[in-house]
Amino acid sequence: MRTMLSKIQNEHCISVSNLRKRYGKNIAYAVNDITFNVEYGTVFGFLGPNGAGKTTTLRILTTLLRQSSGSIYVFGKDLMKNQLEIKKRIGVVSQNPSFEANLTVERALDLYGILWGLKDKKIRKEKINEILNTFDLESLRNVKNDELSIGQRRRVQVAREFIHEMDLLFLDEPTVGLDPSARRLFLDYIKNQVEMGLTVFFTTHIMEEAEYLCDKIAIIDRGKIIAFDTPTGLKQKHGKGAKTIELTFKDILSKSFIQLLNTTISKKQDSGNNNSYIDLNGTHTITITVNNAEEIISEVLKLVYENGLEIESISINRPSLEEVFLSIVNNDDLRNEQSNDGERTTKC
Amino acid sequence: MIGSILLLVYRNLVAAIDKIFLVWIVAFPIVYIFVVGYSYSALIGDQSIKIGTLSVTYTSFLTAGMIGFNAMNGSSVAGSIVWNDKRNGMFQQLLVMRFSKVHYIIGNLVTIILIGLASAGIIILIGFPTMSEDINITLWSIPYTVYALVIGSIFFGSFAIILSTKIRSSETHNVINNGLFLFFSFISSAFYPAHGLPVLLSAAFYINPLTYIVDISRAGIFSQIDAFTNIEVLIISILAATVFMIATRSMVSMKV
Repeated sequence: MRTMLSKIQNEHCISVSNLRKRYGKNIAYAVNDITFNVEYGTVFGFLGPNGAGKTTTLRILTTLLRQSSGSIYVFGKDLMKNQLEIKKRIGVVSQNPSFEANLTVERALDLYGILWGLKDKKIRKEKINEILNTFDLESLRNVKNDELSIGQRRRVQVAREFIHEMDLLFLDEPTVGLDPSARRLFLDYIKNQVEMGLTVFFTTHIMEEAEYLCDKIAIIDRGKIIAFDTPTGLKQKHGKGAKTIELTFKDILSKSFIQLLNTTISKKQDSGNNNSYIDLNGTHTITITVNNAEEIISEVLKLVYENGLEIESISINRPSLEEVFLSIVNNDDLRNEQSNDGERTTKC
Repeated sequence: MIGSILLLVYRNLVAAIDKIFLVWIVAFPIVYIFVVGYSYSALIGDQSIKIGTLSVTYTSFLTAGMIGFNAMNGSSVAGSIVWNDKRNGMFQQLLVMRFSKVHYIIGNLVTIILIGLASAGIIILIGFPTMSEDINITLWSIPYTVYALVIGSIFFGSFAIILSTKIRSSETHNVINNGLFLFFSFISSAFYPAHGLPVLLSAAFYINPLTYIVDISRAGIFSQIDAFTNIEVLIISILAATVFMIATRSMVSMKV
């Protein structure tokens, strides 16, 4: 089924047009005129700061909320008119915990399978064993959900969703509360499922995850999509070629040296493109973010030599997705461009 | 539609009901029937209690009352279902699955009725020996008893649902539940007859819906249906319909 769907070229898995949502007449739009498409067999990352409109969008897409205006098509069908039919083909891992407190993990998984229409007991049992094994939950099989730790409960909640077949999976900050190994296990499993044709709509605050998993990323802020691209594309477009130079010294850095460094770097930056900054990490390490790293580095080294300091290590890195994300959501020009242009839809 | 509702009923019975609570539902009225029933009988001696034109023993009177009482007890579990689903996130999860709010509401309604009838049925079975001498069921009277139990389950189940959707803290929920339980249980005709009481107390009995449910189910069990029974049927039907509509509204507007 999934493979067939992924082959359909002229149809999007999710197609959202001019979506708006507000919770009251005199309240600003939580989601304000957004348009985007999600392709079959891909992971669509939906990122944004708290209160940006991520969860509202996700709740509308999973039918928990009704939009104020705009259209949503899922699997080529109008979501409002085909709710139950569409819901049979999707999975949702919500941000909030959900569990059957009185049941053991195994019994809860079995019941979840029944609710999803898995009538054959043998098939359910096989599926449960597979899930418990894949998500390393075997030791919790006979433990009541009520007795699990928050992290364990989260693992069960995430794993539970794979008891049924689905074409589209909504993940709302699914790795919150998971330890690093459980998180990696989960992300790899998702990757594998996507290779088999699953489409994933993914919201997270953890940029490494988004970079690792997502094919496309939309960044939403104050209800508007302010950036959309592949993770690499975002870094190229919004990183503006910025790089970070990380220097670790053998000596403790003085305030006067940092000031001197700041002045030197500011002078070397283009007047219209002065978004450089220096971070002091502890007493021995500084990170310099600049557009013209190659040009700056010789000046920095000169300054280090003149001040009689000794360098222990030096590295030049491209900005991470997190830095790009911060630069996008803190970029007032980009935000104003979206909010002032009332007629224009934020298209992806 | 029916498939989804049946799945939710099954799920309610399996997952949302605390097994210890179920044991309590059975144990509680049994204690009343056998301990309270025989103790009070010893106290009042051979004195009989009038139901319509019939005079019955106190144990018969009490056991018949416990049938309606246990329907109330059992159906109040609907409150626990909604409360747990709200608190444990399952309400939201079910709604993103193949179920709608309509499925959820009807699923709960069916669960309430099933548990109410099952609770009452258990008391009929266990308590039958204590009222076998007085019992007088006819084809004409039994629908009254069944109707009283169904409508009583709907009333108290809906009432419990309203409380669960409106109250936020567990402590408040417990205090209000216990307080209302005291009122519903003891200011009603479940344990003692309403006639012969001081006027104010008797009036208080008839503010309590359990009185109507117990009166109607008793009238069915002892074949003592009269015009007043039909008035009670009408009153409790209107009350149950109103409370059910409010409960439905509360569930529809429950935040997800």
